[in-house]
Amino acid sequence: QAESTFSEEEEEKLQIAFSLEKQDLHLVLETISFILEQAVYHNLKPASLQQQLQSIHLDQDKAEAFASAWAAAGQDTIEKFRQRVLTPQKLETIGWQLNLQMAESMQAKMKSPQAVLELGVSNEDSKNLKKVFVEFSHQELFEFYNKLETIQAQLDSLT
Amino acid sequence: FAFLFTVTVNALEGKDCKESVKLIAESANLSEEQLAFLISGMYTLLREALRLPLSTFKQEVSSGSTWNPDKVKAVIPEDFIVDFSSVVFGNRRPTSEGTALIQRNRLPSIQDFKWRVDVAISTSSLARALQPSILMMMRLSDGTAHRFEVPVAKFQELRYNVALILKGMNDLEKRSILKIQD
Repeated sequence: QAESTFSEEEEEKLQIAFSLEKQDLHLVLETISFILEQAVYHNLKPASLQQQLQSIHLDQDKAEAFASAWAAAGQDTIEKFRQRVLTPQKLETIGWQLNLQMAESMQAKMKSPQAVLELGVSNEDSKNLKKVFVEFSHQELFEFYNKLETIQAQLDSLT
Repeated sequence: FAFLFTVTVNALEGKDCKESVKLIAESANLSEEQLAFLISGMYTLLREALRLPLSTFKQEVSSGSTWNPDKVKAVIPEDFIVDFSSVVFGNRRPTSEGTALIQRNRLPSIQDFKWRVDVAISTSSLARALQPSILMMMRLSDGTAHRFEVPVAKFQELRYNVALILKGMNDLEKRSILKIQD
């Protein structure tokens, strides 16, 4: 991860707790994050992680600590990275409304159903949820649904 | 008069009639004020008539009918009423209705919808990440374009909701027409 895992204050507290110099602390943190990133990248099992660490002459107890932490939280971390995408906007929320339009300025006494779909699109990591409103008549909605079905057929053919 | 009438009908159908109006102004003997009065009067009459759906009317509408009380003030000769009725009831009605439908005030609707399904084989953080993802690009009728990624779970939710709305619409169309009479 490019972002620093700990804030300034937390770094200072860690420094005092382990009685390390600032550079040493940074080194330790970077090493740990590097090891974890490699573990995620290659999707290592905890046992093989431990083996690899021992083969580069890391202390036995440290290797075990890594292995146990990885066994606990490893799969979730991998899953989280799997879900990350590189697109700027992502669909977050879906809301809708089904109306029966009775009249309007150009025409009175009409009974036409229409739907309004509200799509909440987030911009770059959950900053400002932008709401997009789209209106559909019955026919338009039916066409949209057919397109969604085509996408679903494609998804099904993948598995 | 007939010329004025055709011009008004054309205006209702959405065609551009500036040229025709200029022609009339030059050829006829009417003053500008009278011309404006006539045209706007006919336009308003026809527009109000077209507003109410066909089923409210009966074919025997005559000059003294209830649907245009203002007509009493305006002096419209008998034969022109035939012309009016023919537009309101006759074949040209769907065209005017079609234009009214297009000019409606609505929220933006989808003009163009493109999508793609990707499978991410490998990323910078994961050597083997076989994760499908869906990208959608919508262009709306008000000109805006939205490109966004849809996670597979959200896509299922979208599909479910759209199906739900469709079902609701179907039920509505079957039921409400029976209950709400004109």
